[in-house]
Amino acid sequence: MAKHMISLTINGDTYDLVVSDTQTLLDVIRGDIGLKGTKRGCTTGACGVCTINDSKGRAILSCMTHVLEWDCESITTIEGLESNGELDAIQRAFIEYGAVQCGSCTPGVIMSAKALLNAHPQPTEEQINEAMSGVLCRCTGHVKVKEAIRNAHRIREASSHAATD
Amino acid sequence: MLLPDHQYLTVDSLSDCLKALRENGERAQVVAGGTDVIFNMRLKLFEPDVALSIRRVAELQQVEELPDGGLRIGAGCRLVDLVEHPLVNERYPAFADAVRAVASAHIRNIATLGGNICLKTRCWYTNNSEQWRQGVKECFKTDGELCHVIKSSSLCHAINNADTPLPLITLGAVLTLQNADQRREVPIAEFYRKDGMDHTVLAPDELVTHVTLPPVADRTVFLKIAARQGMDFSQAAIAARAAGTGADAPQVSLVLGSISMAPIQLDQPARTVEAQGLSDEAIEQAVAQVRAELGELTSLYARASYKSHLAKVLVRRALKALREM
Amino acid sequence: MPPPTDPQAIPAQEAELSVVGKRQPRLDGPQKVTGRSVFTDDVVLPGMLAGKILRSQHAHARIVRLDTSRAEALPGVKAVITAAHAMGMAASSTESAGEASRRRTGRAIKLKTGESVFADQVVTYIGEEIAAVAALDEATAEKALELIEVEYEPLPATMDSRRAVKPGAPQVNPEFPGNVWSEDIDNYGKPDEAFESADFVVEGKFEAGVTHNLYAEFHVAVVDFSRPDKLKVWTPTQTSYLMQHSLAPAFGLSLNQVQIIHLNTGGAFSGRGAVRPHHYVAALLSRETRRPVKVFSAGDEEFLIGRALGKNRYKTRIAANKDGTLKAFDMSCEMDGGAVGNEVGYFGWMAGLCNAWVFDLEGNRFRRKVILTHQRPNFLGHGGMMVSSNCAVAQLVAKVAKSLDMDPMDLLLKNAVEPGHTGLSGEVFASCGLKECIETVRRESGWDDKYGKLPPFHGIGVAIGAMASGAKGAFKHDTSAAMVRVGEDGLVTVYTGIPDMGQGTHTTMAMIAAEVLGIDANDVQLIAGDTDLTPVDVGAFAQRGTITTGNATRNAAIDARNQLAKHAAEKLATEQHNLVFRNGRVIRADDPDQSLSFKEVAYATLHGMEGRCVMGRGFFNSPLPYGTMAWSFDAQVAEVKVDPETGQIQVLKVTVAHDLGRTINPLAVEGQIDGQVFSAMSQVIYEELVTDDGLFLNPSRLEYKMPRTYEMPEISHHMIETHDPYGPFGAKEVGEGPVVVTGAAIIAAVSDALGGTLIPEMPMTPIRVLKAIRGSELYENGGQKP
Repeated sequence: MAKHMISLTINGDTYDLVVSDTQTLLDVIRGDIGLKGTKRGCTTGACGVCTINDSKGRAILSCMTHVLEWDCESITTIEGLESNGELDAIQRAFIEYGAVQCGSCTPGVIMSAKALLNAHPQPTEEQINEAMSGVLCRCTGHVKVKEAIRNAHRIREASSHAATD
Repeated sequence: MLLPDHQYLTVDSLSDCLKALRENGERAQVVAGGTDVIFNMRLKLFEPDVALSIRRVAELQQVEELPDGGLRIGAGCRLVDLVEHPLVNERYPAFADAVRAVASAHIRNIATLGGNICLKTRCWYTNNSEQWRQGVKECFKTDGELCHVIKSSSLCHAINNADTPLPLITLGAVLTLQNADQRREVPIAEFYRKDGMDHTVLAPDELVTHVTLPPVADRTVFLKIAARQGMDFSQAAIAARAAGTGADAPQVSLVLGSISMAPIQLDQPARTVEAQGLSDEAIEQAVAQVRAELGELTSLYARASYKSHLAKVLVRRALKALREM
Repeated sequence: MPPPTDPQAIPAQEAELSVVGKRQPRLDGPQKVTGRSVFTDDVVLPGMLAGKILRSQHAHARIVRLDTSRAEALPGVKAVITAAHAMGMAASSTESAGEASRRRTGRAIKLKTGESVFADQVVTYIGEEIAAVAALDEATAEKALELIEVEYEPLPATMDSRRAVKPGAPQVNPEFPGNVWSEDIDNYGKPDEAFESADFVVEGKFEAGVTHNLYAEFHVAVVDFSRPDKLKVWTPTQTSYLMQHSLAPAFGLSLNQVQIIHLNTGGAFSGRGAVRPHHYVAALLSRETRRPVKVFSAGDEEFLIGRALGKNRYKTRIAANKDGTLKAFDMSCEMDGGAVGNEVGYFGWMAGLCNAWVFDLEGNRFRRKVILTHQRPNFLGHGGMMVSSNCAVAQLVAKVAKSLDMDPMDLLLKNAVEPGHTGLSGEVFASCGLKECIETVRRESGWDDKYGKLPPFHGIGVAIGAMASGAKGAFKHDTSAAMVRVGEDGLVTVYTGIPDMGQGTHTTMAMIAAEVLGIDANDVQLIAGDTDLTPVDVGAFAQRGTITTGNATRNAAIDARNQLAKHAAEKLATEQHNLVFRNGRVIRADDPDQSLSFKEVAYATLHGMEGRCVMGRGFFNSPLPYGTMAWSFDAQVAEVKVDPETGQIQVLKVTVAHDLGRTINPLAVEGQIDGQVFSAMSQVIYEELVTDDGLFLNPSRLEYKMPRTYEMPEISHHMIETHDPYGPFGAKEVGEGPVVVTGAAIIAAVSDALGGTLIPEMPMTPIRVLKAIRGSELYENGGQKP
């Protein structure tokens, strides 16, 4: 099978990779690169655990896209949300509001929530339901996940105030 | 459920795409967003030699305003771009609602309009893994001569579950289909065939390149019923359009989806309300005429009786909604 | 049985709690939100192979020919195995159930007829394992499966439990003629007399459909059996202990030669309590190839590996008096065991007990018949069978109230059990806040303003329930053990064998240890999930975590505390019992100005003449021969709206009051309740595997309609604290008590919305709702409530 050289930037690190035609973005993130935070789930687009963010900060199902589409692209995975050892506000909100239980869906749920907050820092209920209906979670019933999303902006503001104080 | 072996070919221009389609014919499968194609490939429902990616074809990703007030939308536009597009929302609200109703935000972020228009028909006797399918007798979709849901049928009864075509049909949208030699304009109302296997008139070397929407000032509505809201296919959906105001509706169009192999245009019920207006009595009369227009229904993803029931509910709701607009 | 005199009691310490009751974020939160938490599918071992399983495509067939030679010849294939490789191996995922049944009923159930690893000559359900492949990668393994040739001779199959018991029905297992796996009657109290003397009897039928537990993490196992004397298994599970006990005898190993590493478990919901065939398959492949093997269930395969509820059909009768006294229950259940009846046959009896716990009855009878069919072997759903059995009961209780023109709340209060009550099977409720739960939901839901006053198709319903906190019976012991190590820097490590599948048990254990030692829970780390490192723990099921492992952890922490107290007492010139450990300090109770820091004490204990290394040990085992010591109680009100045109149900609000003894971590408790409300709602309205002759038609996360964000109702939580004498700090379970009540409250509300029509079936899919509406008085009355 033919192989191709691509360059893919993940969380700010650029990888030169040799990939095949049939590999998905998920296969490469987990397999070739070895970042295991992005989970493998149904691989057919229905559960959302493989969600990453594209360069525009949108939620993308990494199981549903050939890696060859991502040559010269830049993406963010769950491992890339922290900066300088500081958790992102949405990560802190998930911890503080109890939005994490088994944790298996959590990376996908957080990357979906992050995409929502990128577009709408203070989303409405409808926007939350719409953005989060693509992910499956039985443990939380989505209740505390929504609460964390609703409150993420407060945590962000509190920490930016702290930084300027 | 890995992807089957194939060559992934990325083209940058429409002409390259059409050339590649011509060269590869039925061996090729166009990938736009990929959400439907990759799903089907993982299930090995199709195993193309060449997956032809048109994601980088910029000319298919534009929304152009036409001088007559209509829009020409590239088939490669992602659903999310249409959901967020001010002109789409302003001029074609029912269409925007249908786009918003497709699957989840995740899917809409990469799925395209062309992909939804060409969405493969679905059946729960085929849409599982290859190993699962080996326990099921071969049917039309798997090189057999049988339909599991209507055993006596000579046709595949897989469901056309696409939401966006319904308002496009009521709006009189026209699809541009192109191959390497020529282009043709096909009203979307004539695009679908009542056959789960060969469900559109698209030739193997053709591509849906654009959707042209004429200016429409009429009232329009789109309604969808699914088992759950968000991330689900419709159990039944309707798009409706009416000229006039209030109960006066001189021209009406009603299109039902997700209950059959193709969208269904309801003629008699539309004529009834055109003639009698949108009174409760006329609406009930129209509702009573719905079943006769649906043809043979299948218990696929929902009971046939429930689907015909929902068809009536949706016609009633859509007509009442039009009256209130 | 009187409350115990706790030899470990530390009254001065526990008079005022400083950690228990605080909203403590999960200790593993930072790992989970950053993607650092390792799940089994993330495990990569040197030389690891990919395993894939070939499954039966027939519900019942003879394997005429099985030829693996082409698969074996495929480059990259390292092993192909079939039944011949597992001969004589008892895949006794059900050892504990069998032992439990024997202990309870005095007779053994036949374990040798339990599930085998691979079908041998005859397959008895779609999805049964026939062969397996290990290859260099998944793609090669998938290709190899396609090269295995199987020729079947189809045999007639029996797919429905009603038809399976008729004469002439195809037989599933020759050892169970007539397809009856087991038939049992449990009589408690005097049901016959109660029915005879009752003023009236109400009765109804209820059916529950086939489900899957649908956790976020797919079934997966990584096994390294490359050394003949060590079997290492990485897998999500609720119990590494039972896994060890199943795998060790199967492979002729001692228990310590089997190492189970459960890492993080991505949800379980009663569905990961046993070894399943894929664990054996991965082990066999690894033994055969001498390399580690990963088996990951792909897509719809997940639904074949999963063992959840089969079709259950209930007939229920309730005897009552005109004054509203409930006298007796008589419930019978026909359970479709699928092709193997082991587990469901045992656990079914819980449903009959559970329904009756909350009422002061004269008699209770539960009959159950487990019938074999050529369906997937069945087991339990989230909430066992009690979600459905309670639905059957709650509607009839509402019917009793309605027929007496009594408010259901008054009826429940009249019949509800109280503290000190002795149940019909001898259970004594040392703590019981049931009446307070009922009064709370009545108040908080606005019941009195709504019941009987809502518009058509808008309903409100109430249900109550109880749940055992731990249930001894699987073995003679029900032990959890724990170790608490205090480092010289004052940081504490708890070693526990209990898995955390998301419920937050590890954080709870840290809080319990922290409370005893008077430190911050964030200064405790957990070592868990590796049987080579962690002490015995039967596992996270039967609601034993908080009470059993919690008591074990408390005991170990007290042991550690006593070791520290020795040194601190000397330093503070007082007796050990005069010390309080609180807020990071060791304080003289009689003179709080005299204190030492915890860290200082921990340091000095090691760095003294004695050089004492502080390691606390503790275990807990119920003193009872059988059953549980503590019950949680729960009452819920659900409010729903039914769309009479589409048949869709919208749950508007669920008000939950749960007597959990003591709230250890409110944040986790709320999360547990949220998840259970969601799960029960999902089970009674949405979830059902549609089958066609044993073939699941919707085995996917798309088509198996578990709801998502939009469907979630408002939830109002109320924790009722009754300080149980047996629980650690008085705590009882909150992991399954709510789920068995929510569903019943929703069904009662739907029944109310339809004018009191009995709801015959779950899930209440729209078409069933429409059918119920047509059969209801509302339909007769043109939408007007009668």
